[in-house]
Amino acid sequence: MAPGSSSVRHRLELWNGGLDLHDLGDYRRRMAEIDRLEPRLKRLDDNTLRQFSQRLASQAREGTSLDEIVEEAAALVREAAWRILGQRPFGVQVLAGLAMHDGRLVEMATGEGKTLAAVLPAYLGGLFGRGVHVLTFNDYLAHRDAEWMGPIYRFLGLSAGWVGEGMSRRERQEAYGCDVTYVTAKEAGFDLLRSHLASEPEDIVHRPFHLAIVDEADSILIDEARVPLVIAGVLGSPEETPYGLAELVERLDPEEHFAIDEYSRNIELTAIGIDRVEGVLDCGNLLAAENLALLTGINCALHAKVLLRRDVDYIVRDGRIQLVDELTGRVVEDRHWPDGLQAALEAKEGLKLRPEGRVLSSITLQHFIRLYPKLAGMTATASPAAEEVRRTYGIDVVVIPQNRPSIRVDHPDVIFTHRLAKHRALVEEIGRIHATGRPILVGTASVKESEELAALLRQSGIETQILNARNDEMEAAIIAEAGALGAVTISTNMAGRGTDIRLGGADERTREDVVVLGGLYVIGTNRHESLRIDQQLRGRAGRQGDPGSSRFFISLEDDLIVRYGVRNLIPPKLLPQEQDEPLDNPVIRREIARAQRIVEGQNIETRKTLCGYSSVLEEQRKIVQQRREDLLSSRGPGRLAELSPGRFEELSSTVGQEVLAEAERWIMLFQFDRFWSEHLATMAEIREGIHLRRVSGQDPFAEYVLLAADAFSDMESQVEEEAVRTFEAVTITEEGLDLDKEGLKGPSSTWTYLINDDPFRDQLSMALGGNVAFAAGAALPFTTGPLLILWGLYKRYFRDRSRKD
Amino acid sequence: MIESFRNILAIPELRKRLMFTFGLLAVYRIGCNIPTPGIDPQALVEFMAAMQNTLLGFVNTFTGGSLKRVAVFALGIMPYITSSIILQLLTVVWPYLEKLSKEGELGRRKITQYTRYLTMGISLVQSAGISLWLEKTTTPGGAALVPHPGWGFRVITMLTLTTGCAFVMWLGEQITERGVGNGISLIIFAGIVVGLPGAIVNTIGGLQSGTTSVLKMLILIVFMFAVVAFIVYMERAQRRIPVQYAKRVVGRRIYGGQNTYLPLRVNTGGVIPVIFASSVVMIPTTIAGMFQNEWLRNIADAISWGQPIYYVLYASAIIFFSYFYVSIIFNPADTAENLRKYGGFIPGIRSGRRTAEYIDRVLTRLTLIGAVYLAAVSILPEFLLSGMKVEGLPFFGPTLDAVLPAWFTQGMGINFYFGGTSLLIVVGVAMDTVQQVESQLVMRNYEGFMKRGRIRGRRG
Repeated sequence: MAPGSSSVRHRLELWNGGLDLHDLGDYRRRMAEIDRLEPRLKRLDDNTLRQFSQRLASQAREGTSLDEIVEEAAALVREAAWRILGQRPFGVQVLAGLAMHDGRLVEMATGEGKTLAAVLPAYLGGLFGRGVHVLTFNDYLAHRDAEWMGPIYRFLGLSAGWVGEGMSRRERQEAYGCDVTYVTAKEAGFDLLRSHLASEPEDIVHRPFHLAIVDEADSILIDEARVPLVIAGVLGSPEETPYGLAELVERLDPEEHFAIDEYSRNIELTAIGIDRVEGVLDCGNLLAAENLALLTGINCALHAKVLLRRDVDYIVRDGRIQLVDELTGRVVEDRHWPDGLQAALEAKEGLKLRPEGRVLSSITLQHFIRLYPKLAGMTATASPAAEEVRRTYGIDVVVIPQNRPSIRVDHPDVIFTHRLAKHRALVEEIGRIHATGRPILVGTASVKESEELAALLRQSGIETQILNARNDEMEAAIIAEAGALGAVTISTNMAGRGTDIRLGGADERTREDVVVLGGLYVIGTNRHESLRIDQQLRGRAGRQGDPGSSRFFISLEDDLIVRYGVRNLIPPKLLPQEQDEPLDNPVIRREIARAQRIVEGQNIETRKTLCGYSSVLEEQRKIVQQRREDLLSSRGPGRLAELSPGRFEELSSTVGQEVLAEAERWIMLFQFDRFWSEHLATMAEIREGIHLRRVSGQDPFAEYVLLAADAFSDMESQVEEEAVRTFEAVTITEEGLDLDKEGLKGPSSTWTYLINDDPFRDQLSMALGGNVAFAAGAALPFTTGPLLILWGLYKRYFRDRSRKD
Repeated sequence: MIESFRNILAIPELRKRLMFTFGLLAVYRIGCNIPTPGIDPQALVEFMAAMQNTLLGFVNTFTGGSLKRVAVFALGIMPYITSSIILQLLTVVWPYLEKLSKEGELGRRKITQYTRYLTMGISLVQSAGISLWLEKTTTPGGAALVPHPGWGFRVITMLTLTTGCAFVMWLGEQITERGVGNGISLIIFAGIVVGLPGAIVNTIGGLQSGTTSVLKMLILIVFMFAVVAFIVYMERAQRRIPVQYAKRVVGRRIYGGQNTYLPLRVNTGGVIPVIFASSVVMIPTTIAGMFQNEWLRNIADAISWGQPIYYVLYASAIIFFSYFYVSIIFNPADTAENLRKYGGFIPGIRSGRRTAEYIDRVLTRLTLIGAVYLAAVSILPEFLLSGMKVEGLPFFGPTLDAVLPAWFTQGMGINFYFGGTSLLIVVGVAMDTVQQVESQLVMRNYEGFMKRGRIRGRRG
């Protein structure tokens, strides 16, 4: 820490419970030991090194504490990297590796070589032979990193593999069987869910979890953490109604029949619209309970028609709908909109309807990652999220110093009153810089904005690369070239993570020219909801001591500013009329920064709330998983023998113990899966309306927990009841149970979707405030005076109300 | 029961939270017994004994007796509550606050901030009032409560009481955050129940000395249980208006649908209407106590405890304030709007104005029941103690008095330790806290999942 005031402030922060993110512990001492070992290892030949590694492995398996061999292992990995890749890991990479081995989340600036840094902790974990997962940001990176780093592991006698979408069960099993496996968190999570449906022990691809090293950890641990991974099964052939409804909504008049709440992205029929629909369909009261399915269908059809835009929110390819991820602008495989919306969209586009699905099991990324007993991570932007990461995952953040200090210049934001002025200034600035040949990377908030900006630039004769590549690999290729002379690249904030931008691009010779021009110039067109994402964007420039600069252009009409009412924070007299010149007012700058902090705080709160809700289901999921595993591995007579002894006796004499046990297992598994799925649906429904409980002053979460407990025990008794019923009804021969004939076959096909709802912001409930309102009782004895004032206010209120009516 | 306790204590986190809660409540109780400087304790005791049945006595209940001792926590949590109610009410009528309250977390935090500032303001004013009043007051015997009045005394008192109030507020918030239950409620709760052991000892003492008969005692116990049970029943009573969300298709469900509803409580306003009513009804008595005026004294006597007019006034005030308060804290139009915003609707009813009207209609009817219940619970304990003194009625008063049985006109002398208001608060807070503990228990102990037949919280 720098001496003087900042050090005092730093100490004060620590004293106030702040986290020390710069404490490298005794890693530096260990570093010295590793350096000392280096010359000795250099003299050994490859074979001796491998034997050395084997000796470490057997020590680890025999129970020697890894801390005793960590220096030797680090020196070994460093030497191996040098011999295999011709790269000698920098001191800071080894430091990062040591910290990760300690179960920390390390912050390493972009371009510092995270992939290589992760090899040390992965190697150390891999010595046990219990499997280490390096969770990468996408499939492309899983593949690339496994190919790239694999030789190091193999040189040291460990195996390494990778898992990607579309691999078969066998390939997966093989990859997970390796000592080190590169895989996305999403794929690993799906494999866990698939094992949920396993009917044979062999179907399970995962081994028990041991250690995960999470790449781009802030994105996975924080931003995407609440995305639920869902495994869904085919329920049956779809109904034809979506077509009819799609046609019906086509005939509705946007002016009159439905209303859009663009803000929260809601759409609904107006009173006139309801009358119209009732007239056309002759269905009686559309809002009656028995018409719920119909109304839901109409709402979905409206949503699909009006709010989802082709080629912006989704594309149609090969007769199928494919979603576009709003954040990355990428088409995402295997992601669906929830439930009826997908069908409505297919109907709108006149496509064949996919089979209806049913959620069989689900887990959020957050809970999935918490299943690993040991966790480490790395990212370029961890420190702003240090508190949250520590609270949620129990891992500490440590900031690794840069190999060569960054000389990037971060210019202060340029602020405009309106968006038009901002765009004008952006085009002008990009034109000015582009004329010099200096490469520019523009980070936008959405795909839409990036396209608008590209169009504007094209008008003024500037050709741009837009990052909306259809796959990760192409995207990586484009972003790698963003540092080339004269390049203008427009991208959304998350695109191309994990790939370095080298100055001069592929053409090494132009590097110096770019350096002279000032390196990469990063322009942000928006402040994001989190400071981290801003930093991630800035961090694209100035890698490994390169020159570079960054600047954000924002307007008071930006989404972030408007949505969170920053305008209201700024004193009106400071707020000028629309003007083309940028604003230069420290108050406004400060308020925008404050708004960002507040938004971030809110998001943390929201994530905490949502995590609470999903934790309930996760606890239950764990119980179910345990039961299933017990069932899968059990061989003797089980629960059904107790519940239905007569039938059991009878069958065991006719078909024999073994067949019977097998049949019993099938029946139990089938009912388990069926009712667990049912339970998930029930809980989703409860979750949707639980916020209403606040109207009566209840704590919705406490209530949710109790309802969940009741529903779970209901589920358990239903499983047993139905299992007994099935057991007594089916035919079991000596060949066992005919699953197809008895309808006991479980479905399997998977997709994911993102749930986007946050009903916990309703104001009414705040006003009611539950307990406080009740306890508030004790209030007024002293307030007979105020009471009279209130009386006056009440009269005014009454007047207001009658006016409103 | 013991099993449940063991479960609770077996979970370290919950145990820690419980200890924390009890610890802070103990701190609160200690502060309630530290007197503020500058007051003659002897004179204070004499004086308070003379002030039993006035507004002052009533207020004392809510400060856990600390007002009686003019302790550093004499203001208790009340200024905070007063200020939250004022802000809550202002939110309805003042567009600026209304906007703020709809601005999400940011606005809410701002309102909390205002609540705290206002609390400090109220504390200062109240403590100034108290210090001035203490200076002026003498015991019936003529001794001054404050031996050395003057600015020194006033400033010290104001500072002490205001700081005390801020501290209690902080305690409450800490309990809410790191303990169990709602801290503010629990602090009031603690203030009320703290006298319970003393009351029990007194009753047993009365039994031994023969002033209380065994029969009376039994009636008291049975009645106590009945009333508590009744309150529990009524506090949990709610009308569940079914709500549906027509946004997602939930497969082909076998069961479901019964858990989504808008719960409207029979007693929406909680205990607040009673408090409003009490303070209004007690104004004349209190004023009469301050001024030596024959005319005022007569009025005060006519509406004092046990008088028929008092009962009538009190009950009607409760009913009136029930509607008053519900209309302020519950806006059917907002509720309807909220439902609509999240895509929910009441089956068969158009969203928007129709829904609001429907909710309003249901609520109006519910509130009548709630109001009558509140009035009954509030009046019964007083009636049991002192009966209804009909003899004071004009014309046929004496006749009635002669006809009606003595238990009616004179009361049974059954002293309910808890007044109606206290009872409502104690039962309510206890139920809420139990529900919260239970939910944490379930969350942290999934074996507990399989157990049925739990104790239900207030609104379950």
